[in-house]
Amino acid sequence: MKVRVTNIQRFSLHDGPGIRTTIFLKGCNLKCPWCANPENLDFKKTEYYNETTMEKGCFGYDIEAVDLFEDIIKDKHYYKMNNGGVTFSGGEPLLQIKALEPLLIKLKKENINMCVETALQVSTELVEFASNYIDEFIVDIKILDKKMCKEILNGNIEMYNKNVELLISKEKIETFRIPLVNEYTLKEENIKNILEFLKKYKVRKVEIFKIHNLAESKYKSIGKKMTKFSEVEDKKIKEVYDKIKKLNINVEIIKI
Amino acid sequence: MQAIKNFIIKNVSKTFLAYMILVYRYNRKYKNILKTLIFSIKALFHFYAPNKKLLKGTQIRKLFSKVKIEINEEDRFVYNIDIFKTIQRDNRIMDNVTVDYSKILNSSLNEMKKINENMKDCDYKNGQRDLLIGIEEYIDRECKEIEKSNINNKEKLIQYLKSIKDKKAIGFEESIQRILFFNQLLWQVGHGLNGLGRLDKILGDKYEQDLKSGKITRQDAKDMIKDFMKIIHQKFWYKSNVLMGDTGQIIILGGKELDGSYFCNDLTYIFIEAMEEVQLPDPKVFLRVTDKVPRDLMELSLRCIKTGIGCPLFSNDDVIIPILIDFGYDKQDAYNYVTAACWEPLMVGKAVEQNNIDSIVYLTPLTEMLEKEDLDKIETYNQFVCKYKEYLKQYIINFVKELNEITWEEAPLLSLLTDDCNEKLMDVAYGGSKYNNYGATSVSLGTVVNSLYNIKKFVFDEKEYSLKDINEIRKNNFENNEELLNKLKQQPIRYGIDNEEIIDLTNEITGFVDEVLDTQKNRLGGKIKFGFSAPTYIIKAGTSPASFDGRKNGEAFGVHISSDKPSVAYTELIQFASKLDYDNHRFNGNVIDFMITPSFIESNFDKMVDFLILSITLGFFQMQMNVTSSDILIKAKANPKEYENLIVRVWGFSAYFNDLPESYKDLLIERALKNEGKSY
Repeated sequence: MKVRVTNIQRFSLHDGPGIRTTIFLKGCNLKCPWCANPENLDFKKTEYYNETTMEKGCFGYDIEAVDLFEDIIKDKHYYKMNNGGVTFSGGEPLLQIKALEPLLIKLKKENINMCVETALQVSTELVEFASNYIDEFIVDIKILDKKMCKEILNGNIEMYNKNVELLISKEKIETFRIPLVNEYTLKEENIKNILEFLKKYKVRKVEIFKIHNLAESKYKSIGKKMTKFSEVEDKKIKEVYDKIKKLNINVEIIKI
Repeated sequence: MQAIKNFIIKNVSKTFLAYMILVYRYNRKYKNILKTLIFSIKALFHFYAPNKKLLKGTQIRKLFSKVKIEINEEDRFVYNIDIFKTIQRDNRIMDNVTVDYSKILNSSLNEMKKINENMKDCDYKNGQRDLLIGIEEYIDRECKEIEKSNINNKEKLIQYLKSIKDKKAIGFEESIQRILFFNQLLWQVGHGLNGLGRLDKILGDKYEQDLKSGKITRQDAKDMIKDFMKIIHQKFWYKSNVLMGDTGQIIILGGKELDGSYFCNDLTYIFIEAMEEVQLPDPKVFLRVTDKVPRDLMELSLRCIKTGIGCPLFSNDDVIIPILIDFGYDKQDAYNYVTAACWEPLMVGKAVEQNNIDSIVYLTPLTEMLEKEDLDKIETYNQFVCKYKEYLKQYIINFVKELNEITWEEAPLLSLLTDDCNEKLMDVAYGGSKYNNYGATSVSLGTVVNSLYNIKKFVFDEKEYSLKDINEIRKNNFENNEELLNKLKQQPIRYGIDNEEIIDLTNEITGFVDEVLDTQKNRLGGKIKFGFSAPTYIIKAGTSPASFDGRKNGEAFGVHISSDKPSVAYTELIQFASKLDYDNHRFNGNVIDFMITPSFIESNFDKMVDFLILSITLGFFQMQMNVTSSDILIKAKANPKEYENLIVRVWGFSAYFNDLPESYKDLLIERALKNEGKSY
């Protein structure tokens, strides 16, 4: 079966343990205003034109899932230490997880560690399916209030909670990842919710990161305007860090 | 080019030439006309070179007798180079060399004199005799000046110097002073780009003994090494070759042992720690690694690299040593290799192989072919490649012919310190040393690989352009044809990526050059090696016309083994480099060069160490990192005064960013931007 991919990034160090290759899959069901990968929002192919390099082309191409194996295996040597492997990211990679199955079977056979970086706001059936193959899930924590989650992200928090429960019971969540945005996720009420959430679901690691404006040219190249957000101060990041640390959770500030 | 060099050598007064080079180097550093003028007048009065009709060894003795000895009372060690005194040259002087300092430490002038006395009477013997007397006299003069000075530990220093005459070096500090003494002599007689060798190995026993006896502490040893680094850095503007910082002062650390184990000792760590602390662009450190290198040594190395000083550079013994042995070097010598000045493997103490003799420019025969051939008659890609090879073959043959026109200035000091010369009674300049090969570097390999690939794709496979038409556009420097230029430039399958076709094509070209060189010999009876990294990626590119890789007239070539594609993953580049063939003649320095930001290393430190260790086992040849960010470089270019201490990696050395010509600054900025995925 074919999947729609935008990019294959080798030597990926932020998307799971060890050295990894990240496959970016096209299409997302959320609409996070701070999204750093706008080219992955629509499932349909997206044309781009870079004014500076005069480069034009199209984000997204279709490929037999199993054919991705060849690219993934290229860095197999580098997966040897600390559970390196492949990470499926996006967009929302779980939306294409069924189409990926032949590849997942092959990777499993080769004993290659598999991660998914997901917002987990998809049907539980897909999550259940994915959990048969995927070794570790990196799960975003964004906006936990039901109404705001729906309004701002087009998300479904009930489904999210159910999926988290499922994966926690299977001990498949390795990391929670929290984007820090003054205007949304850093709101007092949301941080409070996040802390409650983390108390309930203890995982090995929590990663926090501030969102950046580096995707501006990407937005421009696909004819979209990027919403700019205020700079998150280091002090603020440290505050969140300390609050999570207090819960006895291993927390790390990462740069994405 | 060689003809011009020969003309200058034959027709311009040698003393005047040496004087002009000195003034040029001074001006290059201080960039102040008034200061340079004053310096040039001073130089005029102090300049001296002995009569060139004398035996070379006698000339050196005379030179040493005239050298002004200045004792810097602030320093721990004595190190003296009189920049106004030199030797006249009718020929090219041998440089790019590292002498075996272990021989110097474990021998004495008396022992050397005894060997000399037993030689049969000839010019070689007499020159060597005078040289040895000259060194003795120099020691006496230096001791007298120390006596007169207020330098600390003067008795100790005098004792250290006098013991050179009749004893082996005993202690750690004495050994460093002895190395410095001979090192200053090499610079004084004009052997530039000279390395320091395997100092952790050479000094290891002396350090351990002094440590055990309580004579020194670990910290004392580190302080001495730091002082050693600072003292040899002092006149780096004078020592620098083509660019400021290019001194060849390289310290080799670590390495594979004959039994397969990995050698390193406390000094290996101390040298890197010292390097990290002194923060100087020169001298530089080169770490030989194997799959058994300790993780903490790699961590220390990465911490040092992270500071931005551009070293240590890593050299993979697991890959290199077997190739050296296959080439014909004795096993013992191959395991003990150092480098000439940057990264070119050299059999220390056994060879003065001129490993940076000149650069092969792969693009030159391609351009010549495009100019001379009737392109309409080339109907297939295979024909195109075959034609290129015809021109490449002729180019290599001519290249060797030009190399063989080079005559070398006699070098009694190098001969004294190099195996086999005394037995053969022959100077290194005539092939006296055990090994007498030449080493070339090469540039524009990536340009040619990308050009051939693009021609195949756009002319022969997709038939978008005729060969003649596309060549016309190229000849016009892609004027008014930005579309083609971008297409060629952005074509994603190119040198530096992990693509089978590109790797095969690269190996095919270097393999062809290898075959041609296999039929060639140099004038000393040696072979000609070559490597894929070269210092001339800007200099040689300046006169090279536009090429099919999307490069316009005069634009720089790729740097060593690197990718010109934005944001290429480091693993991809290493995979590419690890699949290249380096055997036969192809081992004269093959360094992967990549840009990386300090924050990237900082935030991924452990994974970067994993990456380095895994890359060794994957099989790269050599690797260096330029740790900087585009932001810093752009600011430093605009406000040089605020970034006086900014160090960057240039070719095989590090330099102050401010000391570089604008073209080098721009190229570094361009590469940093590409690495960070920012458009340029």
